Amino acid sequence: MRFYLSLIALTTVLNGFAQQSELLIPKDAVTVFSLNNIQLLQKVSLDDLVSYEFMSEVQQELFDGSTSGKTLKDSGLDFDQRLNVFYGKGDQYEISGFTFGMKDKEQLFTVFDDFEKSKSPYEGVELYTSFFNNLLIKGNQGLLIRVEPTMEKIDEITDSIWYARGFEDPWMELYYPEDDYEGEFDGEMEEEMYQETFDTEDQGNYFPPDQEDPLKKNYFELRDSVNTIYQQRYFSFVCDELFKDGYNLMKHDLRFTEHIKHTSEGIFYLDNSRSVQKAQNLWYLQTMFPTLYNDVKELYTGNVILGDLFLKDNAVEFKVEARYGQELGSIYEKMNNSKFDKDVLKYIHKDNSAFFSYNVNLREAYEQAYKVIVPILENERNVQVSYNLLMLELINEYVNKDALFDTYKGSMFGTFNGIRKIKTKKIIFEYDEETFDYIEREVEAEEDMPIFTLGFSTERGDIPEKILKHLSRLTSRFKNMGDYWVYEEAVLDAASLYMIHKNGLFIFTNDEDLAMNHSDGYGADALKGSLAKKAKKSGFMYGHIDWSRTIDHFPRDFFNEEENEMLDAMRGKTGNMELTSSKTTKESTKFNLVYNFNGEYENSGKYLLDLVNSVYVISK
Amino acid sequence: MKHRIYFLIIGLVFGLTSCIEIIDDVTIHNDGSGTYKYTVNLSASKVKINSILALDSLDGKKVPSKEDIENDFLDVIESLKKKSGITNVDYSMDFSDYIFKLQCDFKSIEYLQDAIKAIVKEQSKEKDSEEYNYNWISWDGNKLMRSIPELDIKQTKSMKQEDIDLLKTGNYTSITRFDRPVDRFENAKALMSKNKMAVMIKTDPYSLTQDYNLLENTIYLTPQK
Repeated sequence: MRFYLSLIALTTVLNGFAQQSELLIPKDAVTVFSLNNIQLLQKVSLDDLVSYEFMSEVQQELFDGSTSGKTLKDSGLDFDQRLNVFYGKGDQYEISGFTFGMKDKEQLFTVFDDFEKSKSPYEGVELYTSFFNNLLIKGNQGLLIRVEPTMEKIDEITDSIWYARGFEDPWMELYYPEDDYEGEFDGEMEEEMYQETFDTEDQGNYFPPDQEDPLKKNYFELRDSVNTIYQQRYFSFVCDELFKDGYNLMKHDLRFTEHIKHTSEGIFYLDNSRSVQKAQNLWYLQTMFPTLYNDVKELYTGNVILGDLFLKDNAVEFKVEARYGQELGSIYEKMNNSKFDKDVLKYIHKDNSAFFSYNVNLREAYEQAYKVIVPILENERNVQVSYNLLMLELINEYVNKDALFDTYKGSMFGTFNGIRKIKTKKIIFEYDEETFDYIEREVEAEEDMPIFTLGFSTERGDIPEKILKHLSRLTSRFKNMGDYWVYEEAVLDAASLYMIHKNGLFIFTNDEDLAMNHSDGYGADALKGSLAKKAKKSGFMYGHIDWSRTIDHFPRDFFNEEENEMLDAMRGKTGNMELTSSKTTKESTKFNLVYNFNGEYENSGKYLLDLVNSVYVISK
Repeated sequence: MKHRIYFLIIGLVFGLTSCIEIIDDVTIHNDGSGTYKYTVNLSASKVKINSILALDSLDGKKVPSKEDIENDFLDVIESLKKKSGITNVDYSMDFSDYIFKLQCDFKSIEYLQDAIKAIVKEQSKEKDSEEYNYNWISWDGNKLMRSIPELDIKQTKSMKQEDIDLLKTGNYTSITRFDRPVDRFENAKALMSKNKMAVMIKTDPYSLTQDYNLLENTIYLTPQK
């Protein structure tokens, strides 16, 4: 027994030393996908790999024919090390790339064949560069990285140099080289100009106007120079941190260090506290109200999403933990402090294709958010913020919160009941055999329509009823049918929308059968058994999809080629997808997404990448 | 003809791929003048069209808005009105049932043909094509030769099976009318009206894409009294 324990300990230690490609992830990485079991990827062709969006930032060199017909196995990668794909954007620059283990340098450069060796300023590190990217090799680990200054930074520096030299607005010069434009130059106009300049089909032929003095740079040449200089500067900054100071994401964020030790097939890391800083809608806040911006940033401190991806024989499991700071956590905790509304189950048919339930307590969330946010706003010494705070406090006093939050408590549910034929009308042309003259005639027709139901819990259903009553006076298409309301031809100008107010629920559906025959619920045909129990016991959210009933009904037209490929891979397989959530605490909420299926995937590595890419696209 | 069909149908059929009905109706008087009517009926697929028009893009391509479609259609109408030998241009656009109609009178078949070629050239990015020199209809006072709308077969090769199935459920009706009775015609699939003054050929848009000879016909009229 001791021998086995020693063996396990030794293996763990060896693995610990072997898995070091993650040490090259820069601390500025905000999102990281780390694939542990990259043995799975051996069969994936390099052409497939570089076609993924998460590889798009670094794919130029790879996607140039050097990868044709090759798989990752031929790339010189060390499959005993992790493959870590990262991305991050801060105020000054943006980084993207991946780190990997290297087994055969010669093979590696048959793939990275556009890179040329450069003089490395770092001891023990080889540096290779190409037009866009940089490849750094330290021992048997590699880092492929691109560092770009943000557009905002380039604009800021270029403009400051341009105006300091006494030049006029370059956009005006570009658009009105001859005329003396005396009107107001507003943002909208600038946007239009930008669109016209860069979004035309001729953009490849666009050249800025020449300068009289060829030694003097025009605005765009200056901008290019600034871009180049800052690119070099930030690249050095990132590499100095990594290779001189030995400071990386592992040292910067211990949550990541802990998380990457997981033995799952892949891990996912998203630092939301840093991600929120790049949110465009906070730019105004940052510029106009820096103190308030810092307070909001503080609110997001500790906000991180950590995920694990497990590939099993007949299941894929994605475990996600959303962690947050105390103050934000206190709002989430109150928001998710809500009991499951059992009446919801009455309206979910036992043979449904997919359904979800979402239980939140908006009233408590509002009160808690008010407690957290008002003090932050009170600290800001600014007229506009004070005015907004006053408005907020007055609304809080005067609005009947009982009526508001009893009408919409926040809990809701939805179901997808497949595709059904619905009755519509179409025009046909009837021909007279005598002359072949034709007349139009309206006849009954049938078309496919996805059947959805969406409902929310309410204690004040009389309020939406009031709205419907008034709407019915405005148009004859709105009708009170006793047990339900109907709005004729509301969905895509063809199907009726039904509204049911019963059992403390207000329901919208295009399911005629539900409205006409089951307005009190499906009775014996309602959802029962283990699925109903799971929905009740799950935290604030539960979702279930029966693939065999749903996937074939997904309209192909609404997905692009790649998405359809992924859906096709799932077609013909029976299985289900289930989303559960834990109870929300002040610190975290856990989610678990499990996809169970029958049948095997031909290439599980490609499937893994599909999943990683989906998460990347959603999180970016 | 190819481009006219391409212009009016491809955008709707291949873009929105729906159950479609097209009526192509030409009346030719003894003096060579006449009336041309073109009708596209998408009412059997209005749910699908409404759902597609509700999207910004589909399969990576921008979905035109109702305004875009209306503007494009009006461009053609305005252009047609300016063509010599073309008068009484009329149109209708019904966006609730998705029925689009266009009608005009022409001084002679040549004027109609030239007008259509010119419009196709204006709308097409390809400004120089052999198709622009091709005459798809001719009339000598006693005999009418109608040639083929050569749809781009390549388009259908890249189409999904369910879209092809939809094209198969559509209708393409071509009617040619005269002032005097028809004596005989060469296309075996054509039908003659009981009053013998009109000839009709019915097919479906998919078959048309596969066999561009399907609508080809030579119609001989009885001698003029």
